[in-house]
Amino acid sequence: MNIRSRTASVLLAILGCAISGAAAAERVHVVIPVAAGGGLDGTARAAGRALTETELAETVSFENIAGAGGGRGLSMFVENAARFREALMVNSTPLILRHLQKLYPLSFRDLTPIVGLVADYGIFVVRSESTESDWSGVVERLQADPRGVVVGGGSARGSLDHIVAALALDAAGVDARRVRYLPYDGGGKAMLALLGKEIELLSTGLGETLPFIRAGEVRVLAITSPERVAAIEHVQTLTELGYPVVFANWRGMFASPAVDDDVRERHIQRFRTLTASQTWRQTLEQYGWEPLHLFGEDFTRYLEQQEALLGETMTRLGFTQ
Amino acid sequence: MWEGIAQGLGTALDPANLLWVAAGCCAGTLIGMLPGLGPITAIALMIPVSYTLEPAAGLIMMAGVYYGAVFGGSTSSILINAPGVASTVATSFDGYPMARSGQAGRALAIAAYASFAGGTIGAIALLLFAGALASWATAFQSPEYTLILVFALSSIAAFAERGRVAKSCVAALLGLMLGTVGTDQSAGVQRFTFGRLDLMDGISFILLAMAVFALAEAFHMLTTRDRGGDYRPATSVRLAKGDARAITPTVGRNSALGFLVGILPGAGATLASFFAYDFEKRFTRNPACGIAAPEAANNAACTGSFVPLLTLGIPGSGTTAVLLGVMLSLGIQPGPRLLETDPAVFWGVIVSMYIGNLVLLALNLPLIPYISRLIQVSRPVLIPFVAAFSLVGVYLTTSNAFDLYLMLGFGIAALILRSWGFPLAPLLLGFILSGMLEENLRRTLYLADGSWSMLLDRPATVLLAFACAAIWLAPAIRWWRSRPAGEPES
Repeated sequence: MNIRSRTASVLLAILGCAISGAAAAERVHVVIPVAAGGGLDGTARAAGRALTETELAETVSFENIAGAGGGRGLSMFVENAARFREALMVNSTPLILRHLQKLYPLSFRDLTPIVGLVADYGIFVVRSESTESDWSGVVERLQADPRGVVVGGGSARGSLDHIVAALALDAAGVDARRVRYLPYDGGGKAMLALLGKEIELLSTGLGETLPFIRAGEVRVLAITSPERVAAIEHVQTLTELGYPVVFANWRGMFASPAVDDDVRERHIQRFRTLTASQTWRQTLEQYGWEPLHLFGEDFTRYLEQQEALLGETMTRLGFTQ
Repeated sequence: MWEGIAQGLGTALDPANLLWVAAGCCAGTLIGMLPGLGPITAIALMIPVSYTLEPAAGLIMMAGVYYGAVFGGSTSSILINAPGVASTVATSFDGYPMARSGQAGRALAIAAYASFAGGTIGAIALLLFAGALASWATAFQSPEYTLILVFALSSIAAFAERGRVAKSCVAALLGLMLGTVGTDQSAGVQRFTFGRLDLMDGISFILLAMAVFALAEAFHMLTTRDRGGDYRPATSVRLAKGDARAITPTVGRNSALGFLVGILPGAGATLASFFAYDFEKRFTRNPACGIAAPEAANNAACTGSFVPLLTLGIPGSGTTAVLLGVMLSLGIQPGPRLLETDPAVFWGVIVSMYIGNLVLLALNLPLIPYISRLIQVSRPVLIPFVAAFSLVGVYLTTSNAFDLYLMLGFGIAALILRSWGFPLAPLLLGFILSGMLEENLRRTLYLADGSWSMLLDRPATVLLAFACAAIWLAPAIRWWRSRPAGEPES
């Protein structure tokens, strides 16, 4: 695209905004640091669709820059800040985890947090015919023998599913470093291993497990949300059970480090309007997502808190070098 | 169930949906034919289109794109030795030599008929047994996978020509080693990445396949003299005399094999096509069967991979994972309840697969004479074409310039290995299986606290272990028995 025409259109858009004083419809570009088709990609595209449907954006374009477990997209977004001055990038909890594990040199501090959109809480599930009926039963067995229950998850050792399980078990006084954790290539295969009885307890996210819960194939023992979640109202939170662990896999939008203040404000305003809309409520319902809805500085503070919590536990449990 | 099928027929035969399945097949075939572009890219490219459609129509179109791309992939495998998908690698073993000997039309026709039959048999099996077979996917756990992967590796003995068994094994080992580059799933640490972000996800299959097959072939053409007459014009799209009779049983048994292997999450279609090739080569040296077997199997396996997706909501491959994302964004939740909540979608997709296969055959047969003319293109045109397309294909999937250098390096290395007489198919096979084999073996050992007994104390694993042993022992026994007759090794 011609640079001059792009500048002109941006200037026009800014002018339009200044006149109307609201987030006028314009083009939004979203960088997705993973390949098309995954959960994060789905979040970005669903949010983009909701933006156009509510006419908060004229068009929303997407650019998948996959590779290095999200690291390539992140470094390109930051290094080419001038090119992405107006753009957004979708990201999620691994942004924090991988920085703590020193896999990424960059962290959320190198980006401009715009909005924490949705939260996927960690849950612990067993087969529906399992003899374990509650979380404390599992905890007691693991307290007696940390290797007595085989735990599985859809990602490598030391990544999300493993860390959530370790956080929860650590709070219950289990020696989390000795617990047997089996990694699978994706939540789907981990679910198959649970159904096929290779693992007894699965650490996973609520979103992708909801269909199996509704079909009665698996039973949830506990959830890491601060309060009970509407979709599975009968399930107790870890906090209720006496283990004060709250953890969410957040997904949100960031702007480039070089973003102008007024562009940032407009992005934030756009998402404030979106998250209040009926369209967005339907989107959340359709995908089984829980709202997070934290904007600007609030989102930054949230990220700092999560980083502190994770950093402390991960060092203690030996997840960081 | 019959009521559901009737409902599905109604959905699939809706004129608009018929149009979408045809459009999906066309787009999929075209994208799949380009070297380096496989079903995942094809589906990802079509995602924006699917958003504009009704859920059932969108899904039917995407399914059309999927098997269209698998179908199209065999074309680039056969014509220019550039498989865009792991599952068409086996097709190039006999397909490319046949095309080079002036029978491109015949090879393409065999592939088209075998794909059609495999896909159709798969669709019928899906229609009849989808519900019943869901449990087959959960019956296989890490120990079984480990042995099935060892079995697949053992089949290298079948790809090896006589006297090249040792070189084949070395090539396979090289492939296994290349597969260890990247993040170690079990420990979460980096291996052989030299601190480079570009290598953190490992080496991509497409990159290696394009470098080792297409680029190396182009380099090879550059370094050898054109003897002329290598590429005779292909006028006939028909099967040769006797082909139909020869491949009918091949297609039948390998469709069944492919479907069953395809249900298993993992590299269903790839494993199926290698097994099928290996299996057929034990009975016959007829190259027609060598093309028909993997083609029938990989198409049946693609259909089979819909079993866990539709009935359990679990994607078994990268492609079905992307499809799952598409389904969710269309508001369809696949899984045990899909049959109750959306019977029209469930049966509509299955019936449309059958129709899609018919569309593909009707679409491709008339095109074969034109496509096969590609091979008559003179070398000065063909070599840059192959090189450029494979480089662009790889760049499109990752948009990372580092991959291009990596690819050139592998292409040159492959050329050298080739000139030393190392077969390269085992290298690719080793590479494909490496990650899965390691993951499953380590899980198995971890579960058993380091004891190897778990590999041998389950019925299915014992059976597979015997099968592996048979593969390795058969040539030795054959040699021992033929020794008294004083037959020299040829």
